[in-house]
Amino acid sequence: MSVHVALIKIEEKKISSEKAKKFIASEKNGAESIFVGRVRNENGGKKVIGVTYDAHDQAVIKSFESICKNAKNKFDKNGKIFLEHAKGYASVGEISILIAVGSGHRDEAFKICRHVLEEVKHQSPIWKKEHYTDGKEEWLPGHSLRPKKQVK
Amino acid sequence: MEIHLKLYGSSKILSDKDILNVQLPNNSNIQNLRKVLTKIISEKYSKSNLNSLPRTAAFFSEKDEVINDNYKLKDKEFISIIPPIGGG
Repeated sequence: MSVHVALIKIEEKKISSEKAKKFIASEKNGAESIFVGRVRNENGGKKVIGVTYDAHDQAVIKSFESICKNAKNKFDKNGKIFLEHAKGYASVGEISILIAVGSGHRDEAFKICRHVLEEVKHQSPIWKKEHYTDGKEEWLPGHSLRPKKQVK
Repeated sequence: MEIHLKLYGSSKILSDKDILNVQLPNNSNIQNLRKVLTKIISEKYSKSNLNSLPRTAAFFSEKDEVINDNYKLKDKEFISIIPPIGGG
């Protein structure tokens, strides 16, 4: 198996970079690229204490599988990809997304990693609600999946 | 007719539950659903940031596929509202 994708209920289980490294490990790899996204403590001048991630589970998994398949077809058919994203409440510093790629060469490894991240942001139905130190919370704006010409 | 709207992201403000039951005229399509949601939001949630939601949201069928504005809704059908996304 060369692709692993999952949504992780973050209150029950953490996203593990060690697990990702083990998954992509191969003697065929000349390069490994790992992207770790974390919840940060500030956004637009507001002090953040955590983020709740909501997701349409089935559609997210479908999109993850499609994104990884397309990335392999585009850059390296023999590449290995590990992709996990958090669901639920994550505190500042916790991992929200982890992408690990094993590939024959560095260029492909970097490209697959970047490609997967950008496509997740534009295709996968995941939403973020930020929680602030003053007790307020806010769903963040995002990218509409409705065709652009129809969004007037 | 009535449809069951599964709520995600910011649309969860529309109900304490994960599903909002929406009454629609018979033979309604997604475009009609957008109009009804616009009315609900303007009447009950005008102070929220949901005003643009009926315009910017996509909708998924029970097969988790995007459906267009001409899609004919069926009575008791489950539809997912997909507000603008932003994971990562």
